[in-house]
Amino acid sequence: MNLRRWFLLPARAMQVLFFAVPLGIVVVLSVLTRGDYGGAEQPWSSESYRRLFDPLYGLILWRSIWIAALATALCVLLGFPLALYISRAQKYRSLLLQLVILPFWTSFLIRTYAWLFLLRDTGLVNTALLKLGVIHQPLPLLYNDGAVLLGLVYGYLPFMVLPIYAALERMDPSLAEAAADLGAKPLSIVLRVIAPLASAGVLAGSLLVFIPCLGAYLTPDLMGGGRTVMVGNLVQNQFTTARDWPFGSAVSLALMAITALMLALFLRRAPAESP
Amino acid sequence: MNRRIFLLGVATTGCAIDRRPRLNVFNWSNYIARDTISNFEREFGVRVRYSVYESNEEMLAKVMTGNSGWDVVFPTHNRIAPMVRNGLLAPLDHARLPNLPNLAAQFQNPAWDPGLAHSIPYMWNATGIIYNRRIAPPPSQWADLWSPRWQGRLTMLDDAEDVLGACLSKLGLPFDSADAAHLERAKREAIAQKRMVRAYLNAEVRDQLVSGDVLAAQIWSTTAQQAISAAKDLAFVYPTEGFPLYADNAVILRESARAELAHSFLNYLLRPAVAAAIAAEAETATANEAARLLLPASVRESETLYPGAETRKRGVWPRALPGSAIRLRDRIWTEIKSA
Amino acid sequence: MSKLLGWYAAFLYAFLHVPLLILIAFSFNSSRFSVWEGASFTWYRAMLNDTQMAEAAWHSVIIAVFSSLLATAIGTAAAYGMWKHKAPLLQGSLYLTLVTPEIVMGISLLALFQWIFRWMPFRLGLGTVIIAHVAFSIAYVAIVITARLRTMDPALEEAALDLGASEWAAFRRVTLPLLAPAMGAAALLALVVSFDDYVITSMVAGVDSETLPMVIYAMARRGVNPVLNAVSSVTVVFFGALILLSERVRAQ
Repeated sequence: MNLRRWFLLPARAMQVLFFAVPLGIVVVLSVLTRGDYGGAEQPWSSESYRRLFDPLYGLILWRSIWIAALATALCVLLGFPLALYISRAQKYRSLLLQLVILPFWTSFLIRTYAWLFLLRDTGLVNTALLKLGVIHQPLPLLYNDGAVLLGLVYGYLPFMVLPIYAALERMDPSLAEAAADLGAKPLSIVLRVIAPLASAGVLAGSLLVFIPCLGAYLTPDLMGGGRTVMVGNLVQNQFTTARDWPFGSAVSLALMAITALMLALFLRRAPAESP
Repeated sequence: MNRRIFLLGVATTGCAIDRRPRLNVFNWSNYIARDTISNFEREFGVRVRYSVYESNEEMLAKVMTGNSGWDVVFPTHNRIAPMVRNGLLAPLDHARLPNLPNLAAQFQNPAWDPGLAHSIPYMWNATGIIYNRRIAPPPSQWADLWSPRWQGRLTMLDDAEDVLGACLSKLGLPFDSADAAHLERAKREAIAQKRMVRAYLNAEVRDQLVSGDVLAAQIWSTTAQQAISAAKDLAFVYPTEGFPLYADNAVILRESARAELAHSFLNYLLRPAVAAAIAAEAETATANEAARLLLPASVRESETLYPGAETRKRGVWPRALPGSAIRLRDRIWTEIKSA
Repeated sequence: MSKLLGWYAAFLYAFLHVPLLILIAFSFNSSRFSVWEGASFTWYRAMLNDTQMAEAAWHSVIIAVFSSLLATAIGTAAAYGMWKHKAPLLQGSLYLTLVTPEIVMGISLLALFQWIFRWMPFRLGLGTVIIAHVAFSIAYVAIVITARLRTMDPALEEAALDLGASEWAAFRRVTLPLLAPAMGAAALLALVVSFDDYVITSMVAGVDSETLPMVIYAMARRGVNPVLNAVSSVTVVFFGALILLSERVRAQ
């Protein structure tokens, strides 16, 4: 017993000192007032929370949820067939999986930059289309919600594919065979037999995609051109250039609350599935 | 275990190799000449860490804490008074700055820092409109930037003061107004314009102007001069409704433990040859008169950098605003960016 | 149906990998525009001459190595401690750490450090970055080690204890050697996660602790820069090779 306590001590200390305490400080900050030139000071005030309900910021939160949900849905639509393909592959399965995981090992920042390089007005896509005469003026492919969505899907697709694959792999193949024997068409088999059984994987993947997308910062910043302000950008902004720590703290806690809620819902639905 | 000790040793040796005193300088991007820093390092036998920022806010966010680690930073003139009020700046010892007389007369005793107690004017510029000559008719006032013809090929500065100021000027109101009602109207203008704005960018828009991605931009005259040098089809104009003038100043932070070295650096920057090299390469207007006389004619007589007397009449030096006004402007800026 | 799926898979793999391949390809382009004008090492030379980038890369390496070692040690210990007996609070908080948005972790740590620095004579620097990285890496390590422990037979340790060994000896001589490969994998994971981190690092880094992702971000903000292509290529190839190599080793 003693040894076990010692083993747990460093992790517990780290979690308390560098996770719980910082969040506690953020809570305290959220009920203070902003100093004239930054920082936080007395008096105590709930103004930051009141500002949260300002329709302007509610709009940002709603927009972030919408974009994150859309990105998650796209990941499911795009990722499920791929996971299905890998789970059915006879050979090279491990290689196929590695090819999905490989982008994950690449820096997210670099992967986002790759799209900047492709999509800007004088980037490869526009240059190619112009040369082919398909368009006569560069398309504004960057600095809009669509670009942000693309960046998010590209970045988090592997997180969706892997859990779905794991669920599909565990599935009994004879179920699909039985359905085929009974005369069901392939698409119907996928939709009515396979998909429901893989739902646990879809749920896990959705959690792994939705939450980071909700708090995304880099993608809307680089690919949205500072125009698509999502919750992550708002928080970062308040703690740097806007120097409004109390308000930034309130927004962070709201974001955390939503995140924790999602996690709780997920754990209730699928307690055995850990990421 | 052995591997860990080895790594530790390597790391500490890596840090211990350079024993020269180090000066940490935080400046605007593209605001120095290629060899300014290396020459200083060589002459004084020191090391300089030189990093850049794109906006006052970015710099202030780090410096306001009072223990950022920077020694010399370059705030714009109307940020100096608040920084002094917050005890962030070290008083300057003029005895250590014999090159001071090189400054132009108008910068020897400026309104924002009488007697140059805390700052040394470095370079100055203004905000105006840069545009691609392909566009006809060319823009000549802030109001022109609200036209739908830009179709998203327009950028504004990522700077609350400049964007709000442009809106205020467009409405015929004072550029640095602190009045809540004025600012509210300016905010509505900015939000209305936002649809047509591609992005809010500072100096980083230069490459996009040169490459033709962006057709018009609210821009600082320094960046404009740099862009025009790189692409002849660009032109710059000072808006008829009025425009702001800014002076960027070198200051020493009170937290700095290397005040003497910092003074040497400031004095070094005041040398005519050094300032001229910076002004020439960064293509900016220098506050150093002795240096300006050394500049090549193309820079010294550039209308973009040194607007003529008639144009200057429309310019205003924005003043330092009270804390409450800054808070209000910051909040409005957040609302504009989030809209 | 299978054929359709096959084509679709190929298309999706292309979507995942082609942008990076193009990025790497154009790092060899002699022109700075997106029109191919001949192969050249110009940008690689420019990258190597950039002292700021070299310094930042060095910082990234130091931070990654130290934080990975610490996180692996702490995370392994925690996973082992949670193995046979529940520690619900710790487990829950580790989960929470995993799902907390990076920006929130970053600002909360910034708030902590700035508060501490009011009483203590420190400032943001390599130390704060390493602490931050360890803080978020522990959860990753714990997951990897926990997964490995699930497939481990507790009877092995129990046998050692029955034979008279102390708890510590049983751990050190029975379990630890069996965990070694998983610890290696976890350390590698922590290394990569630390090296690539931007959001949290940017909030808690100081003047003299700029990391490579911070330099890359600053350059990316300014627009497309072929030197960035070169840096990206080097990073991608280096870590890609590292991962594939470690997979090779693990498979043996």
